[in-house]
Amino acid sequence: MSDDDFLRVTDVSKWYGDEKVLEDVSFEMDRGDVTVLIGPSGSGKSTMLRCVNRLAEAQEGSILLDGEEVLSPDLDVDELRREVGMVFQGFNLFAHLTAVGNVALGPRRVLGLSETAARERAEEQLERVGLADQLDSYPAELSGGQQQRVGIARALAMEPKLMLFDEPTSALDPELIGEVLEVMHGLVEEGMTMLVVTHEMSFAREVADEIVFLDDGRVVERGPPEQLFDRPEEERTGRFLERIASHD
Amino acid sequence: MASATRPATVRERVADADRSVGRLLLVAAGALFWGWLVASWVNRWLGGVLVPVGQPLIPAGAVETAFAAIPGFAAYAADAAFVVELTPELSRGTWLTVVITAVSLVLGFFIAVPLAVTRVYGRFSAWLSLAYTELLRGTPLLAQLFVLYYGLNLASYVPGAFSGVFARDVVWVAILGFTLNGAAYQAEYIRGALESVEEGQITAGRAIGLSKLETIYYVVLPQGLRYAIPSWTNEFVYLIKYSSLAAFITVPELYYRADQIASETFRYTLIFVVTGVTYLALVLTASKLMERVEERVSIPGLGADSEE
Ligand SMILES: Nc1ncnc2c1ncn2[C@@H]1O[C@H](COP(=O)(O)OP(=O)(O)OP(=O)(O)O)[C@@H](O)[C@H]1O
Ligand SMILES: [Mg+2]
Repeated sequence: MSDDDFLRVTDVSKWYGDEKVLEDVSFEMDRGDVTVLIGPSGSGKSTMLRCVNRLAEAQEGSILLDGEEVLSPDLDVDELRREVGMVFQGFNLFAHLTAVGNVALGPRRVLGLSETAARERAEEQLERVGLADQLDSYPAELSGGQQQRVGIARALAMEPKLMLFDEPTSALDPELIGEVLEVMHGLVEEGMTMLVVTHEMSFAREVADEIVFLDDGRVVERGPPEQLFDRPEEERTGRFLERIASHD
Repeated sequence: MASATRPATVRERVADADRSVGRLLLVAAGALFWGWLVASWVNRWLGGVLVPVGQPLIPAGAVETAFAAIPGFAAYAADAAFVVELTPELSRGTWLTVVITAVSLVLGFFIAVPLAVTRVYGRFSAWLSLAYTELLRGTPLLAQLFVLYYGLNLASYVPGAFSGVFARDVVWVAILGFTLNGAAYQAEYIRGALESVEEGQITAGRAIGLSKLETIYYVVLPQGLRYAIPSWTNEFVYLIKYSSLAAFITVPELYYRADQIASETFRYTLIFVVTGVTYLALVLTASKLMERVEERVSIPGLGADSEE
């Protein structure tokens, strides 16, 4: 554990009422790292991601992002979210806005860009995810894969230093998963720091620097993909991986 | 070769024709109604450019002669002439009805939106907003008007800038009453619509760094207000009809004038049928107008569209 970790999560715990959903979760990432969170349903993966951009409030522990304490009560949460992009399982595109409108809203209203500059940036980002020909389509007029790519472009348009992906392909038909993973591959190559929750194990194996296996709100095991996938030390990890594999 | 489309059955063709004839009649009736109304108003404002102020646009005598000349209509000639005689008074009343409704509706909207937003997203303010809505929806509108007019005597406190805009300052009291009351009802409709905006929309707004208020303004309201249009149209229609309660605080709107003429002439049935038809025309206009608005602002996948 070095002092210049880009993201350092230390002993984070969170309760929803009496239910402890995260218990002393710790992991760290360097700039440009890709960390993949895996674990069974209800293990706290989404909650962990949401604690990083404060969509959920962790009650204990520390999350240092680029040296700043995310959990500090004095932190400007909107400022934090400007710098941390998030991609949702259900896309969550703004239903009343076109693709460009979705991507431009943040640059226009949060970053304060002019109408034209915001639109330009939105067009660039949509091109980046391969949607230059769908600029003026509404979410309902796009396929799931296209919608998720708009979702990624929307996050990228804020020029985040960290991207959070919460099961970005889980809601997609199998034939649409590839186009989204391809965009994510591109981001990895560009050196984006990414914290990803996914069940796409081959993707995880290919791009992850570290896999963190969560179960019941605790980190059961973590390590580079070769180690965690091929020689898991914990029995629970092995069982989970077998179950996932049998679903494919 | 048989044509690809099956020829319409006779019944279908009749139904189509019915629909287009019905539409045509409706448009013609609407044009006549609004043409007559607007011409009457303009005539009055410009001091009688078309006909002397207070006179019908077409002389009642001419209408009577015309009716008498059409076979089968002669029996109605006197009634038709009587109705035409009424039009200057009724169109004056209708003007106030339209203005009171429109102004109250718009002002009420600007109160209703914050009321609805605080109901859904506020804490203490949600409670205040609830109290306001329940109070205004739970007590009779007429009683509210009486409190404003007789109880608080507001007609004598109309600020200088507003005083004299209408022939009688009491019109402002009616507008205030309908604004405050309508806001409560509008807020209920808008609240329901805001609640149907998906939670994920707000999460996504917050996640790109919009504040809660910005998210409401840029994300929730544009969607929620679209959802609200159909039910909001109900409030529009109700307000047109409820505006007749202003008569009870001496506002000379449509119902007031009809009632006055009726008590002078004792021709209650004819006068209230004509008045009723006038309200009906206003209501139909309002709902057609809102249908148009809904079409204009519709977005693929939002609201009615998404139920496909
Ligand atoms: N807003 C909430 N209020 C109460 N409990 C919650 C809330 N969100 C999540 N939980 C609970 O916290 C636990 C962890 O949920 P979380 O969504 O983080 O799991 P997950 O690993 O992302 O699961 P999945 O794979 O199903 O998405 C679950 O038991 C869930 O029921
Ligand atoms: Mg989840």
